[in-house]
Amino acid sequence: MPPAEPPRRRATDEPQGELHIVGVSHRTAALPVREALAFPREARDGALHQLCDLSGAGEAMILSTCNRVEIYARCQGPDAGQALESFLCVFHGRAPESLAQAIYRLRGADAVHHAFRVASSLDSMVIGETQILGQVKEAYEAAEAAGTLGSMLGALRNRSIAAARKARTETGIGAGAVSVAYVAVELARKIFGQLTGKNVVMVGAGKMSELAARHLVSGGAAATVVAGRTMERATELAASLGGRVLPLEQLRDALSVADIVISGTGAPGLVIRTADVEAARVRRQRPLFLIDIAVPRDIEDTVTRLPGVFLYDLDNLRSVAEANLRERRKQAAAAETLVEKEARDFIDWEKSRDVVPLLVELRKRGDEIRKAELAKVRSRLGPLSAEQEQALEAATSAIVNKLLHPPTVQLKEASRSGHASEQISFIRKLFGL
Amino acid sequence: MPAHFYLLLTLGLYAVGAVQVALEILTRKRLLSRGAVAAAVAGFALHTAGISQRWSEAGHFPAVGVHDAVSLLAWLIVLAYLMAFVRRGPDALGFVAYPAAFVLVLVACLVPPAADTDPLLNSFFFPVHVTLAFLGYAALFVAFAMGLLYLVQEQELKSRSPRAFYYRIPSLESCDTISGHSVMVGFGFLTLAIITGLLWSHYARGRYWSWDLKELTALLAWSIYVGLLVTRWRTGWGGRRAALMGIVGFAAVALLFVWTTVLSDVTGAAR
Repeated sequence: MPPAEPPRRRATDEPQGELHIVGVSHRTAALPVREALAFPREARDGALHQLCDLSGAGEAMILSTCNRVEIYARCQGPDAGQALESFLCVFHGRAPESLAQAIYRLRGADAVHHAFRVASSLDSMVIGETQILGQVKEAYEAAEAAGTLGSMLGALRNRSIAAARKARTETGIGAGAVSVAYVAVELARKIFGQLTGKNVVMVGAGKMSELAARHLVSGGAAATVVAGRTMERATELAASLGGRVLPLEQLRDALSVADIVISGTGAPGLVIRTADVEAARVRRQRPLFLIDIAVPRDIEDTVTRLPGVFLYDLDNLRSVAEANLRERRKQAAAAETLVEKEARDFIDWEKSRDVVPLLVELRKRGDEIRKAELAKVRSRLGPLSAEQEQALEAATSAIVNKLLHPPTVQLKEASRSGHASEQISFIRKLFGL
Repeated sequence: MPAHFYLLLTLGLYAVGAVQVALEILTRKRLLSRGAVAAAVAGFALHTAGISQRWSEAGHFPAVGVHDAVSLLAWLIVLAYLMAFVRRGPDALGFVAYPAAFVLVLVACLVPPAADTDPLLNSFFFPVHVTLAFLGYAALFVAFAMGLLYLVQEQELKSRSPRAFYYRIPSLESCDTISGHSVMVGFGFLTLAIITGLLWSHYARGRYWSWDLKELTALLAWSIYVGLLVTRWRTGWGGRRAALMGIVGFAAVALLFVWTTVLSDVTGAAR
């Protein structure tokens, strides 16, 4: 007999409780604290079940990235946040007192706003970064797989992800590269448009130049690695980039066909001189993009005097990245407004869910009475024409609809202003439900 | 409806695109791109109706005087833009096409059409010659504008601390490519326009070539573009030099445009 599937937890679906978020982020906690509280991927399933058992949450999700660890849960009662916080500490074997400064607790509307801002990367270290949305999606998927995702978190997932996409396309928060490697790639695209068929020459094999080269190659460029000190590392790199490798003596050959040069050797002096570039260039009308990320610099500064030659060193790239970041911050205000509106819509929708069951019941009850009374009187009326049948149906339906219209409107309005619970019990009493 | 009314509506619709370009430069966002294309299509339809109306009102091909000339030029620029849009989707051309179309139609709205009905205008060569010349002007204007954008973008990239233009202007390569294609097309039309012009001159004046200012300017522009095409053909990339030549060449073309439309009326020059 095959081993039985472990019972999957079902998220409870009664629309009770509100959203609570408890966690730490780069704003409140240093890296060691965030690391200590992180949930590794393989532990997440168990953690979610344990969380629901210990805190009594109806639904739960855990978002764990290098910049934040957050528990999202739908809970009831005044102590819910406390319970989630103590779970976070107990699970990682930490004393709650030691983390009191770092952990934040949010509930209700504040929690919803926070969830929307996080997904839209407005709470990220680098505003507008794209990674967080993927991480948020993955966290929801993990919760879904664990069976702890119910209707509220499910809706929060859809709405917050949609809002994040909207913020990205409708404002400029994602525009402009903000890391050195990406700025270099963006500049290359501004010069060459298409990277297909362009030759990238890497001189030296550092981490940052590798990252930039990898992006250029994935855009269709071909790589050549010119070895710095050792041939070994260069060969390895060339293989992983699908390119060829040349010794330093053949630098000039490499330059003659280069469109983009990324230089990052550890050499103490200049590696590429203006005269070398001038002599090596065969196609003088074509642009040549030189990226110097070495400190001390590898490329002679006067090379920019040559027509069509563009040189960017590490400082230049950084200042472009900073300018882009400033622009993103400016755009963030517009994104905040947009995301806040989306969050408020979600909260309104969430509130209206309280009254939905009652509205359904009310309508059902009305229809039952109508059908029962119609059945009683119908036998006494004898055969009727189709039109008469229809008129009878329409008239009785209209009575029910008109009677139920005012309480329906009243309930919907109350739910929007957040005072539905009294009205719900009153109307239940009134209609004997 | 009178032709002028069509033209005013056209102006309003082209303004949408011009406003978009301004917003894009100022805010780095694409705010109206779909709306602007839709407005350009509607504007183009009205513009076409306006030109055909003007044709029937004038009784000859409407290419006499400043009013007709700028209106026709704007029509061709928008046509070129829409064709490029259908083929390649939204791209850099809108940057120059929208403002150019708007300004040209604005001028057309302000200047009343010339009232000239010379029998020479009914000759077969006149509409053919003028249409070819204007197609050439439109294409060469695009080449000029893209060359200008090339130089601005190159300056931005050279400065190493790029400002707003860097983000809004397309890549050097696409400026270069669009400019290069436009020169080829424009040069072809210009050549054909010169040939038909010679034939028309023969028909109207009894001689092919009379060494007047207009003909000399045409010859000068034509030679500049020959030089430009040779440069491109040799390097495969026009670069800075081609951009500069495109600008100088267009200056000659603009002069040609002024000779033919503003200073001398067409028929006077023909005599």
